[in-house]
Amino acid sequence: MSHGPSAAAGAAISTTPHGHSSEPYVPVFTGETRAQLDALMERYPTKMAALLPALWMVQEARGWVSPEAMAEVGQVLGLTAAYVKGVVTFYTMYHQHPVGKHFIQVCTTTPCHVCGAEDVVKAFLKQTGCGELGVTSTDGKYTVIEVECLGACGFATPVMVNADFIESVTPEKVPELLKKYG
Amino acid sequence: MADTPLVNLTIEGRTVSVPAGTSILEAAKTVGVLIPHYCYHPGLPVAGVCRMCLVDVEEAPKLAPACATAVAEGQVVNVHAEKARDARKGVLEMLLINHPLDCPICDQSGECELQDYTYQEGRADSRYREPKRFNPVEDFGGDVMYVPNRCILCTRCVRFMDDVAHDAVLNVSERGDRATIGKFEGKDLTHAWAGNVIDLCPVGALLSKDFLNKARSWELDRTASVCSGCSQGCNMTVETRDNAVVRLRPRPNAEVNEFFLCDHGRLNYRWMNRGDRLEAPSVRGASGPRATDWDVALAVAAQALKGKTVFVLASPNLSNEALFFLSRIMKAAGGRGAFRIEQGPEAPLAGVDDLALRADRAANGRGAELLGFERSTTPLAGVSAGDAVIIADHDLTADDAAHLSRASTIVLVSTFMPSALTRADVILPIGNHVEEEGTFTNLRGRVQRFLQARAAPGMARPSWYVLADLSAALGDRLNVMTGAQAFAALAASEPAFAGPSYDTLGLRGAAVAGATAGAAS
Amino acid sequence: MGFPHKPHPRETTVLSEHFGEAEARSLDGWKSRGGYRALEQALGMDPLAIQAVVKESGLRGRGGAGFPTGLKWSFMKIGDGKPHYLCCNADESEPGTFKDREIMRWTPHALIEGCAIAAHAIGAETAYIYIRGEFTEPLDVMERAVDEARRAGVIGKNAMGSGKRVDVWVHKGAGAYICGEETALMNSLEGKRGNPRIKPPFPAAAGLFGMPTTINNVETLAAVPPILVNGGEWYKKMGRADNPKSTGTKLWSVCGNVMRPGNYEVEMGFPFKEFLYDLCGGPPKGRKFKAVIPGGSSVPIITMAEAEAAVMDYEGMVAVGTMLGSAGCIVMDDAQSIPRQVARLARFYAHESCAQCTQCREGTAWTTKILERMVAGGGTTEDLDTLMDLADDMTGKTICVLSDSCAAPVVSGLQKFRSEFEALITRKTVHTVPAIVA
Repeated sequence: MSHGPSAAAGAAISTTPHGHSSEPYVPVFTGETRAQLDALMERYPTKMAALLPALWMVQEARGWVSPEAMAEVGQVLGLTAAYVKGVVTFYTMYHQHPVGKHFIQVCTTTPCHVCGAEDVVKAFLKQTGCGELGVTSTDGKYTVIEVECLGACGFATPVMVNADFIESVTPEKVPELLKKYG
Repeated sequence: MADTPLVNLTIEGRTVSVPAGTSILEAAKTVGVLIPHYCYHPGLPVAGVCRMCLVDVEEAPKLAPACATAVAEGQVVNVHAEKARDARKGVLEMLLINHPLDCPICDQSGECELQDYTYQEGRADSRYREPKRFNPVEDFGGDVMYVPNRCILCTRCVRFMDDVAHDAVLNVSERGDRATIGKFEGKDLTHAWAGNVIDLCPVGALLSKDFLNKARSWELDRTASVCSGCSQGCNMTVETRDNAVVRLRPRPNAEVNEFFLCDHGRLNYRWMNRGDRLEAPSVRGASGPRATDWDVALAVAAQALKGKTVFVLASPNLSNEALFFLSRIMKAAGGRGAFRIEQGPEAPLAGVDDLALRADRAANGRGAELLGFERSTTPLAGVSAGDAVIIADHDLTADDAAHLSRASTIVLVSTFMPSALTRADVILPIGNHVEEEGTFTNLRGRVQRFLQARAAPGMARPSWYVLADLSAALGDRLNVMTGAQAFAALAASEPAFAGPSYDTLGLRGAAVAGATAGAAS
Repeated sequence: MGFPHKPHPRETTVLSEHFGEAEARSLDGWKSRGGYRALEQALGMDPLAIQAVVKESGLRGRGGAGFPTGLKWSFMKIGDGKPHYLCCNADESEPGTFKDREIMRWTPHALIEGCAIAAHAIGAETAYIYIRGEFTEPLDVMERAVDEARRAGVIGKNAMGSGKRVDVWVHKGAGAYICGEETALMNSLEGKRGNPRIKPPFPAAAGLFGMPTTINNVETLAAVPPILVNGGEWYKKMGRADNPKSTGTKLWSVCGNVMRPGNYEVEMGFPFKEFLYDLCGGPPKGRKFKAVIPGGSSVPIITMAEAEAAVMDYEGMVAVGTMLGSAGCIVMDDAQSIPRQVARLARFYAHESCAQCTQCREGTAWTTKILERMVAGGGTTEDLDTLMDLADDMTGKTICVLSDSCAAPVVSGLQKFRSEFEALITRKTVHTVPAIVA
């Protein structure tokens, strides 16, 4: 799903404002990565079932899922690019454009909401300099978004930074936490 | 399916008996009960998502989606029970909250299922006070444009492209109330059958660019016909406004095209309105063709043909009836006939058995063959010196025209003047296939009727009528005054067409044994 | 356990006994804690015999629906010649619920063992554990444990040398609450949008890849090994003497405004009042409890009067007008605004709607917009009627119950805390927080 526009000028990554590189697309599924996907496909009776895992592999390799990558995955698995796009846009965790180096997700659903999750969000927005949800900071380091229930409600407020799952975050802990993600 | 057991149930007080496995929605149709619905379509896999077809089944804890619920013995179904009507009212209200008030400018108006059901069962007001969702109009390629604001996400279009066309270029993008129909950048609706999504769309979300803002649905006259784009013989409806054909749409026929029409057939109608038509019977005079009346022209034509060997160049788009009279003239005069049929790439609709845009790009090649005309790429090569040639609505290349130099007489029975024709001794103007009734024989030997959808221009008359008169003027009088009589005469004399009549053919046609034997399979 | 706190003496730690023990995560560590005895036993049993034990235990689905597990397994026709599948639903996304996460990250082998036994009991050779994509630690722990178990021959072509095949694979989700619905989970696993399917056909007839499938929750499967080892009788004995329909223990995920949030494992039938005030430590200092959503956000909100009279089992929760659900227990104190939280919950459901059914796609969003407008001070009395009407439109009319789940907090919130909504309309502000009582 889309989380909002990424930062324009000043981003550390050398891409155009919408994140599409002017260089030709380099396929993800070659060599070792292709072998990994092939092994993974053995687990399922259909190629289509390897779609979500394949998209994860793309995101792990490139940081996001570009239209070219969607077309590549489609080709490898025998699916149309439109089909792959329909799946990508359904799931919130696949980025459809580049995001900050540290992608910060703060849970604000009711159990965390009643424990002050909104203040945690405000603290992140302030500390990262993002100012706005979904907009990457001008230095390209951070993107902050609100997410729905992360399944750690007893440890309010849980926050994910990329693949790191951090429990019991309070506004006071935010500056210290961000030090690790400089 | 003789062995499928029957299930008996009651729908809206009417007794129904249908094969096991039938949905409540289809069962209701058999007793004339229409259960309101959007996402269901008999040509598509069941989705059950619009929730419009919810009906009350006595003793069931919840309302049942009629399209997705199979009949059960002894069921008592109340389509118009209060809770079912309330549920449908709720669905309609929800569909309208973000729907723009576009009726005055929307092409679908007058043939819109959202309008229809809202008028029938919906609220008279809206309780929605929030800003409406907005997305810009998109070009989906081909003839299709997409207006997301009007979309009710029934997903008929997605299911058609995926399950019937086998070309999944449409998807549902995003989630929740942000969802729209989407496609992939650069991959458009260029599939040969993609235009069907326009018909399938119950609202004005998917529209024909060709038809955009052209006419209002209630201004149109609709006539049952058969497409002449190729030899498949898809059943279609010709829609006219003030005697001009403005749109062609598929007409359901389970034996031929199910519910679908290809884009080639659908968009190829402008020739039906062409202005450069032959409008007056004419005879050749000192300074070119001289308009006259029918009696004179027919008499001159008969005189010109008498005693000569007749060669007929007959269009494979002429009706069986017209070709019948032509073949009688030809055979009586010891002559021959031929035709050329344009070819194009075949484009199947993969998800339907035996349905394709055929390589033969004319409607009645099979009929012509059955009636003794030879298929050829150089159809006039067989003209012998001194032959009288009848050109029946067939175009001419420069090569064709060269062969005509051997002809002693040329009688043109046509809708138009072929540009390569330099001389015609008699011109008899006829109607095209939407200007008269008749039948075509498709590639499988199925004979199907088409009806008159618009008036022919000027003094042009139905092709079979003119040719019956010409045949009579040559001494072969069959007393035919109507299309039905013409067909009856054809069925009586030609074994290939023996059996059916206009009454038995109805508007769905029939496979005629003599015609199917030896047909391509 | 009130894990991560120490177990309370009134807890019954069957599933949570080894939470917090790092060694429990390894194969050897698990074996030394009695693990894999059940699987060894099961692999030597007839599938129907295993089903009988589970049926007798009275175990019911712990993901929220509470469907009797033994009965669910019995829908699978053993020996029909088709490949059968077991799916473990580890998509845990119901707000308030965080128990499956603990089971996976502390006792991964308990889940693997439960999956393997269940697979064998339903005639399946392949089990997929569908874990939500956000659960990075459980994904990592489970992948390594499954790998370890496979390399040790505990699962795989020849599970524990029995000659029977049991393959277990971890499958990662990508962010969609709706994939916790069993048919949506199957669609997601197949590489599709996570759309729930119309039923019939039911999964046991045509499920994953069109084949007979059983989907079970993590907690349900983790309960299977102890049931097999200790017997159905043993499990059945835990619960109210006068309510045989709710047996065994339940992990209650307690969160929100409470002194000691965490996971607590208690026997069915535990008194809710004692649970909230004693085990969970009561409300935060200076505050009072106001409302509870005991079973994850999709069940009706109850007042404290109702909560304090309730008994913690399936029937006990129904008796006070709510449901046990996933036992994701969200507690709210008197500093909270019910309308604001109902609005926040509606927003959750609107975000998660798959978009198939009209009432859910449009209704969840519309409900959210009305509520947020009310919270912002722009509400009218008509809005309250509209909300109730919408909730009725959204209940019992869709492919799955997400829209019903959105309606539940709206209806219960309006029914039991109407004055807060009315105050919003007249005073146009969210209520002021009562002063802290020293």
